[in-house]
Amino acid sequence: MKIQNSTIYRTIIAALIAGTPLSSSIADEDINKLKTELETLKQKVDKLTTQQKSENNVDSVLHVAGYAAIGYADQKNDNGAFNTVRFNPIFHYQYKDLVLLETELEIEIEENGETHTALEYATIDILANDYVSIFGGKFLSPLGQFRQNLHPAWINKLPSAPPGFGHDGAAPEAEVGLGLRGATYAGNVKVNYTAYVGNGPELEEDDDEVHGISSGGFGRDADDNKVFGGRLGILPLPKLELGISAASGKAIITTRENGMAVPTTEPSRDYDVVGVDAAYQFGQFDLRAEYIQQEIGDTTGGLADEGGKWKTWYAQASYKFIPSNFEGVIRYGDYDSPHASQDQQQTAIGVNYLFSANAIAKIAYEINDGQAGSANDENRILLQLTYGF
Amino acid sequence: MMSKKVYLSVLFSAILFTGAGSTVTHAQENTAGDVARGAVAWTNNCDRCHNMRQPNEFTDNQWRPIISHMRIRAGLTGQEARDILKFLQENN
Ligand code: HEC
Repeated sequence: MKIQNSTIYRTIIAALIAGTPLSSSIADEDINKLKTELETLKQKVDKLTTQQKSENNVDSVLHVAGYAAIGYADQKNDNGAFNTVRFNPIFHYQYKDLVLLETELEIEIEENGETHTALEYATIDILANDYVSIFGGKFLSPLGQFRQNLHPAWINKLPSAPPGFGHDGAAPEAEVGLGLRGATYAGNVKVNYTAYVGNGPELEEDDDEVHGISSGGFGRDADDNKVFGGRLGILPLPKLELGISAASGKAIITTRENGMAVPTTEPSRDYDVVGVDAAYQFGQFDLRAEYIQQEIGDTTGGLADEGGKWKTWYAQASYKFIPSNFEGVIRYGDYDSPHASQDQQQTAIGVNYLFSANAIAKIAYEINDGQAGSANDENRILLQLTYGF
Repeated sequence: MMSKKVYLSVLFSAILFTGAGSTVTHAQENTAGDVARGAVAWTNNCDRCHNMRQPNEFTDNQWRPIISHMRIRAGLTGQEARDILKFLQENN
């Protein structure tokens, strides 16, 4: 190969030397032009390399992530409608390997056409060392799995949340406060933990009863008692996670359905959360189950003296039909609250088409069993298109 | 009431303590990311909650905050996060 090459070069050089003086002056001109071009090119490449190097080494990085979902729902006794248009941008700002700001907005169209905007979370994490991060701000409830880790539309394998995992349900939604989280190994077993303190939820009264627990995260502490909580996750196998969650504090009625003011004498009461969760993946299967309950104690001399328990659980199995892009999912859930009108048992069956890992079309059928005549009792068909970026 | 106040002070002291100690421990434990370890940690962790996201979906710099975000979500140690980041940056 080498001999052949050098033969070719020699032939070319010989041909150049044998060229006429006229053509050689043209060649000189060309060569000079080429030289200048090469020089400019070199400068440009040098500049780009330095630029890229500095871009890769900068201390601060900004990144925008998030997801969007559009959906259609049809239910007996109601008009089928395109009922979901949601855009959730997530902003990440990272300084070195030390600070992360994570903020998610939820921008959603309402039934009446208005736009609802909410701060889903805004958290500053200090990555203190390899095992501990300090976090503060508004954060999704770390109790259980669904709220924090599974609710984004491109992650949830069904278009709907399990019963009791929506607003004012059995599972706490978010918290405003401060905490620690991290992970470590106990031998071969991975352990992760979260512990936090926050303002806690508030209660809604309706008809002399506590109607529900609002846990969307408050910027005040109405009962002047913080809620302390946490979750411990254990992974005996890399793809098997078992978790226990608990929280405890006080809560007080702050809103009344009839719009009347809450008396200043309203007493606060105990508030407790307990949950367990499990998740396991093998082959193309993804299996998970979760139980969570929020309980409020009784009180005397208040607007609604009787406490109660909002509890729910679900189990879900999904399977990817590789090499096709289809995925099948089935979920059973049972939500039980002190009010029969809120209770619901549900079996949901869905088929998903994965355009990619993060762009998914879903179709699902919910078999719902709730209080006769209520919307909770009607079966639904749901369609959703979602994209996480 | 009292016990909660105690719990609160303990938690805050713990936060201050880890915060103050962080610069020291940070330097000591900052072992660089390792591609081979990262490949294993990526396989073990990154499709537990959602479908696997491929290395070539993001640039080196985009992966930095994403992996910090996922360290928080997925309960990864700092070392696992560095290993996975290295793996993704080498394979995008
Ligand atoms: C414990 C659950 C969980 C695990 C494990 C997990 N993720 Fe995520 N991931 C999420 C959630 C939840 C989101 C959506 C972000 C949000 O809503 O805050 C997400 C979002 C993402 C995104 C979209 C960009 C972003 O930051 O929002 C990418 C990319 C991603 N994850 C990659 C990974 C990689 C790589 C790993 C392995 C280290 C991983 N995930 C492990 C829960 C998880």
